[in-house]
Amino acid sequence: MIAHSSKPLLPAEADRFGRELDAVRARVLADLGQRDVDHIRGVVRLVRYGDVAGRALLHAGVDPLTFALGVAMLGGAKILENMEIGHNVMHGQYDWTGDPELDSQRYEWDMVADEDHWRRSHNAEHHVFTNILGRDRDIGYTFLRVSAAQPWHPLHVFQPAAAVALALLFQWGIALHDVHLDESLAGRQSFAALRRRAAPVLRKAGWQLAKDYLVFPAVALWNAPRVALGNLLANGVRNLWAFAIIFCGHFPEGVRLYDPEQTRDERRGDWYLRQLHGSANITARRAFHVLSGHLSYQIEHHLFPDLPAARYPEIAAQVQEICARYGQAYNTGRFSAQFASVARLLVRNAFPAVAPRWFTRSVARVLLRARPPGRARAHAPAVTAPAEASAASA
Amino acid sequence: MIDETADTRTLVLAPGRRWPGHRAGQYVAIEVEVDGARVRRSYSISSGGAARGARRIAITVRRVPGGVASTALHQLRRGAVVGLGTPAGDFVLDAPVAPKLLLVGGGSGITPIMAMLRNLADSRRSETMRGRARQSVIVIHGSRNADDAIFGAELASLATRFAWLQIHARHDDETERGRLDAHGLRTLVPDLADREIFVCGPLGLIDVVTQAARDVGALHRVHQERFVAPASRSTTAVEAVTVALIRTGVDVVASGPGPLLAQLERAGQHPAFGCRMGICRSCRCRKLRGTVENTATGVVSSEPDQDILLCVSLARSDLELAL
Repeated sequence: MIAHSSKPLLPAEADRFGRELDAVRARVLADLGQRDVDHIRGVVRLVRYGDVAGRALLHAGVDPLTFALGVAMLGGAKILENMEIGHNVMHGQYDWTGDPELDSQRYEWDMVADEDHWRRSHNAEHHVFTNILGRDRDIGYTFLRVSAAQPWHPLHVFQPAAAVALALLFQWGIALHDVHLDESLAGRQSFAALRRRAAPVLRKAGWQLAKDYLVFPAVALWNAPRVALGNLLANGVRNLWAFAIIFCGHFPEGVRLYDPEQTRDERRGDWYLRQLHGSANITARRAFHVLSGHLSYQIEHHLFPDLPAARYPEIAAQVQEICARYGQAYNTGRFSAQFASVARLLVRNAFPAVAPRWFTRSVARVLLRARPPGRARAHAPAVTAPAEASAASA
Repeated sequence: MIDETADTRTLVLAPGRRWPGHRAGQYVAIEVEVDGARVRRSYSISSGGAARGARRIAITVRRVPGGVASTALHQLRRGAVVGLGTPAGDFVLDAPVAPKLLLVGGGSGITPIMAMLRNLADSRRSETMRGRARQSVIVIHGSRNADDAIFGAELASLATRFAWLQIHARHDDETERGRLDAHGLRTLVPDLADREIFVCGPLGLIDVVTQAARDVGALHRVHQERFVAPASRSTTAVEAVTVALIRTGVDVVASGPGPLLAQLERAGQHPAFGCRMGICRSCRCRKLRGTVENTATGVVSSEPDQDILLCVSLARSDLELAL
């Protein structure tokens, strides 16, 4: 296997590294224009047509073929709306256009998570404190042990099942994540505060449930069960896809976690390095990238969260070149490889580090029916957690 | 689309059904998209006052060299769609209209004056002899030269049709009838003290008119509309600036090191914030006036009504913020 380890950079080198990335950013900013707006408006149109067509097929059809097609179109529209439009617009990637429909602070997406919560937890916490233990609540969403650097808890043995459940209900996971339920359960947040936080989520969820499972089925009259089921499946398809893309962006092998201590005197270059090593890309075709909201370019997204995501492909080439010159690993792989890597880590970290390695590996093999880790992956960049490193190179 | 002069063009717009109507002399915000980004500018409406749901209004736009919005407006084709704000401004003729008026327009400042005149001409046509006899309107129209005079021909033809209307065209390049000073204005309009005065144009012209009005004790009769020049694009650091927080209703002095967010916090304000590094947009707010420099992008924002991020913006002038 090829081990892509990263060279530690001297402060002056890290500064230079940061300045080079700043220059990449400045070039794109100076070049923003009509084609960026044309792209996102094209996607908006596609989502509208897809949504209408998908719903029309569900409402008007009676046969399984139009049902499957309707679910696929509606699910696809929801995926594009959530990921390529919603996520990216709410990052402020299109604020420069001055178009109220593309305004980061006013956008509402077609899913249950409350926008204001998400803007705070995602933009102001996850994107700033990326992968810092105890500060980034997106590391395993506070209940999954994605790295051996996190303390083990007996309940973690159920995490493979919990991860499957999260995948199926991902939109609810995101919505609940932002009410900090875990903190209330641990006694660190009062239940009054929890209620306050939950109010907008309940409101949004109420609207969403009413829309997908009351209003649209009611409009469909005798076709109501078919429409309700179709909407459920479309939401489910979106959940699975979003889960897969997002987990591949942060939790495959090779992604680093950081101690708060390590990041105390962080400068801009160090911040860039942490974003680089805290994320992982997926190598794929263009359609895949658009469908994933370009979050398959998770590294570029974390380096430049407010540049229009459709620019990440052209930026990626420059970022890779810079990383190569500075001896920094650039974690990318095919979707299947990255996803298998995530699954392996989720299973392996379900058990404490003291569990015999033959035990965790055989559980992983049974659960995932995978070849022994190490042979499947072409790129296996450096790993910080020692337990993972030894397992991966075994 | 009518070309008025070499660099000035009148655009006739068809507002939507929700157009609230405007009074002659008011201005309106026009929004055009330039290379994907929306640009907003205010223009005086040059057509006469129109009722709610009017079918047509006109703006008259002088192309400013290097001006983003005016260039884009000049490049518009017939049938293009532009964003239209709500008409605003109190530079309007009060009803009932004073019988004796002096209207002074300099350069493109003639546009709201033209709207008023068109209104007057329309209403006079249908009024009684008595009303007509009492009315006296003097228009002074300043421009660089005869070719550059917006609405020059139209004004001349109005003057031949209406006895109550007197036009004085002044061209900067002529010695005989060149730029007016306060004394010249008093000589030209001997009954200045009796007239309701409206002036729109460059600062120098407004100064001349207010000075002349002050000389004859008619300062309270002067209505003025200034065409605000964009704030200076200076990026030099300033010691301390006054920041007017419009929603809070207080003025604070921002000084010392750091971006606006830190300065406002030191001044006892608590604007919303998140990452403090320009990526999360929690501290985004609307800047109504003034110049700031974004340290993350190097972009200088000096146009009115632009969104800025407090946590990475350095104040470069006094500011008005929608906070």
